[in-house]
Amino acid sequence: MKNTGDIMNRNNNRPLARRLFLRGIGGLTLAAPFLTSLNEAKGQSATVPKRLVIFYTHNGCLTDRWFPKVENGPLAAADLTGTLAPLAQFAPKLLVPRGFRSMNAFGKGQSIDPHDQACGSKLTCAPLNDDQNRYPQAESLDHTIAKLINPNKSTPLVLSVGAASTKIKEVISFSAANTPFPANVNPRTVFNALMLGAGTSSNPSAPAPTMSPEVDYRLKRGQSVIDFVRGDLSRLQKLKMSSADHNRVQNWLDLLRDTEVGVGGMMGNTGSMQPSACTSDTAMKLGVTDASLTAASPTGKITPGVFDGGTASSEGDKNLATSFTAGGDMMMNLIALNMLCDANRVFVLMYPGYVVFNWDGINDTTDHHSISHRTGSIIVTGTCLANVLDHINRIDQWYAGKFAKLVGLLDSIQEGGGTLLDHSATMWLPELSDGAAHNLNNLPIVIAGSAGGYLKQGAAVNVEGSPIGPGNSDNSCQDGANKGDTGSTTGNVPINKLYVTLMNAVGCTDNGGKVSKFGVMDGMNATAGIANPGEVAALTSSV
Amino acid sequence: VPATSQVRRISNAEYDRIVRDLLGVTALHAYGDSAPSNLLATDQEGGLTDVGWAGYKTVAEAIAAQVMADPTLRASFISCDPAVGTCLHDTVVSFGRRAYRRPLSADDIAAFDSVIAKGSEITPTGAPLEIAEALLYLFLVSPSFIQKEELQDVADGAGHLQLSSYELAARLAFLLWGSLPDRTLEQSADDGKLATAEQILQQAARMLKDPRARDMVSAFHRSYMLMGTNTRWDNTNKDPSLFPAFTRELVGVMQQETELFFDNIVFAKNGSFEDLIQSPVAFVNSSTAPFYGLDPAKFSSTLTETTLGATRPGFLTRLGFLNAYSGYQGTSPILRGAFITKQVLGIAVGAPPPGAEQTPLPPASDQLDTNRKRFDAMTSGPQCAACHHTFINPPGFALEAFDTVGSSQTTERSTGTAIDTSADVLTSYYGPAVHVSGPAELMAAIAQSAGAKSKYVSEWIAYTTGRRGDPGDSCAVNGITAKMSTSGYTVQNLITDLTQTLSFRVRTAEQ
Repeated sequence: MKNTGDIMNRNNNRPLARRLFLRGIGGLTLAAPFLTSLNEAKGQSATVPKRLVIFYTHNGCLTDRWFPKVENGPLAAADLTGTLAPLAQFAPKLLVPRGFRSMNAFGKGQSIDPHDQACGSKLTCAPLNDDQNRYPQAESLDHTIAKLINPNKSTPLVLSVGAASTKIKEVISFSAANTPFPANVNPRTVFNALMLGAGTSSNPSAPAPTMSPEVDYRLKRGQSVIDFVRGDLSRLQKLKMSSADHNRVQNWLDLLRDTEVGVGGMMGNTGSMQPSACTSDTAMKLGVTDASLTAASPTGKITPGVFDGGTASSEGDKNLATSFTAGGDMMMNLIALNMLCDANRVFVLMYPGYVVFNWDGINDTTDHHSISHRTGSIIVTGTCLANVLDHINRIDQWYAGKFAKLVGLLDSIQEGGGTLLDHSATMWLPELSDGAAHNLNNLPIVIAGSAGGYLKQGAAVNVEGSPIGPGNSDNSCQDGANKGDTGSTTGNVPINKLYVTLMNAVGCTDNGGKVSKFGVMDGMNATAGIANPGEVAALTSSV
Repeated sequence: VPATSQVRRISNAEYDRIVRDLLGVTALHAYGDSAPSNLLATDQEGGLTDVGWAGYKTVAEAIAAQVMADPTLRASFISCDPAVGTCLHDTVVSFGRRAYRRPLSADDIAAFDSVIAKGSEITPTGAPLEIAEALLYLFLVSPSFIQKEELQDVADGAGHLQLSSYELAARLAFLLWGSLPDRTLEQSADDGKLATAEQILQQAARMLKDPRARDMVSAFHRSYMLMGTNTRWDNTNKDPSLFPAFTRELVGVMQQETELFFDNIVFAKNGSFEDLIQSPVAFVNSSTAPFYGLDPAKFSSTLTETTLGATRPGFLTRLGFLNAYSGYQGTSPILRGAFITKQVLGIAVGAPPPGAEQTPLPPASDQLDTNRKRFDAMTSGPQCAACHHTFINPPGFALEAFDTVGSSQTTERSTGTAIDTSADVLTSYYGPAVHVSGPAELMAAIAQSAGAKSKYVSEWIAYTTGRRGDPGDSCAVNGITAKMSTSGYTVQNLITDLTQTLSFRVRTAEQ
């Protein structure tokens, strides 16, 4: 992807016939390519959007092999020799904030399953309901930011490989209190959303329809679909219903309006002009073709069985491997494509944790979660698996490679005066620090890109002040010993402050000024609220 | 009666079954024969998203094209010549009755008629078949199809709102089949014959005989057993150096055995809840026979119904559960005991206290010469013992009669010490404890436990309504639980009784 920059330059106009991604035809057909001529006549918006990407992985890591050598100060490629070695070439564009703890650390706040706690509170900084669902009592960061920086306030694009659901161990995004926002797992579905109704004709490598009188019927059909569905919804609007139900109806109507804006006013989903880089050429350069989408998408059903849930099967295993490899890589391409089309500015890409790694040369027989416990099962105490630290290390390195791939992809695409990466904050955020200790202090976090110059680059920043250290993941399981304590106690600055910093970095404002608070609480007491507001200036380029 | 949404979207699984039953479509040719719901956004209860809306449109387009291209499928949508007379209009009326689960209103029909009138403008050539395809597409993207609408606003005089006969028919079909009504049920709704509890029960009993109900019952028991993708069941594995006979390929087989067990007891045996807990029925093939102590030569690769001895009662002594709720190298009385305590007996023990997870399992020694003794010692601290020694460990200790891979064991593998499977088990929060000598007596105690029956019913309510632990459902749970103690009350009776609760027949509005 290194040499695609020129082609993807937003100001580089492409032949009309190749434009496929114009959003807004609600009907049965491909987008009508000729509309973009009007788009171009009106010119491009000069402002380059800022974006947030969260790359989320489960079960922690071997923290003492993960952190860069330097804890506070300039970060050079030579400091990235452990797990993060694949990121060494990007050292000048990295920020490694040291010393954050997410809400709540198990054992200090609520006493419930540590994975439920980590997922539910990770992006919400809110307490969880003490029922079987374990949902948090507030919306998550991605939704807060999307409402502030997605021009149509549209929801963030939340993606995952493998399987996704609304189960608390598989969801970190919440559109409101108690309302899980599960990830989408099929690249084809995500691509189709960008194509909007392209359906069977969604082959981006196929020639776009030539302009002809026939195109007219497509437009009219699109409008008649919108009119029809709106008519069906307006029947409901007149009824006495709960506010939740009225919101459901209104949401749908809003989607129709957005697509209609596309038909009539040449506006993209986010309300801005359709960027000129949003073309089938771009898709092809990114490797998004019909064939590659097919190769990256699962066959049969992702969640097997006629009803939900199902039996373990070889097709399921194959789908999982496809999804973790080609599927995840395709999701990265689709994130880039969504950026180039300005279809969304907030992204989450999740890799679920209860899976057996059996691809890319890793031949595990027990799932990542069991390996992270060191014992090869759900059991958290007892005898270590043979060579278990090597197994964990292989997975940590695999994830580092995937994050580096995402970073490299975004950095290879020119935009305005820099790259997509430069205009974004792309953060690797882990569920836990150490997988066996389930601790949430001293979180291994790395952020690539400055979000348009806001964030400090090429640096590790100790936000706690006193030395933190890399943790103790290697403290046990040497020479077949029993698992000991692999956690640590330092690094307890509330992660709310990182989130506030990121919100300001990507352009969120609060009454025209900087954002100073995020979340319900930043301590262990849910009723105490935010005791320590404000961003961390040391993470910004101004300090 | 718990308040319910009036416009819940159908789930993805329901979508697949509806287009199967409505149009005969189970795989999308345009997308490598993948199930339609693969192309939909992941299920969620919040507002529709752009990905969600695009998904419905994409799938609708693919289905409409596929149906119209195949004369057999097309007949399920349109049964006349679209070029002749009022065929398109008539198709809207007749197909709409099925797709919308209610007769179309005059406004609905007018909206479709106006699309028909515009047919030549919105299709490539204006050919009647093209217009028909556009109509089918519109049906599949319309809110009336995608949402489970309960809109009738008529008070029943007792603080609730009545459901229309169409809404009741849809509830019945979604509960028992996860799909839409069949012609018989539609007819009952049209004739107003779902007005009484007896009429509803009659339909439910009829519908339970349909294979779709068996699928639903299987899915319920997967949920009850906490099976599924990325669960303990799915991720079961054993140390090959200790258990060479175990392979990952057996995981699916063992899970399938448990599913067959539930299906067999509920349908073939028309059994009761007690039978689920205590029946000696098992399904065994040549790979799993050795784990049951049976001769593999007497079995084929197909799981075959077999009767085990009295020491192997019910689903909790089948290979699937015993394997999934064990460790990689050894059994876990805690995992097995916690499942029985929480999920089967319904005793709400909380999560472990802070730091509990870091408590080391003491190594085997002269004093700690069994797994049981080691786990007992590990959980003997005052913070642990309150739940572990009282509730969680005892049922797990009784199941020490079975090793990590589910085989019978009488002595400890590593030390040769005899295993003690006796325990004092609390089958309810306040006791008293029941002394059991091993698995058979443990299962007898569970089978008689009111808490286990109540938990089973509340799991059914949760599965079929999507509500978990709603206080408004407690009357329904208690009512059915009480019936379970009457002689001859079967699981099938329980399922049809789910349609006899007040909250099934009426609704209340959300705030």
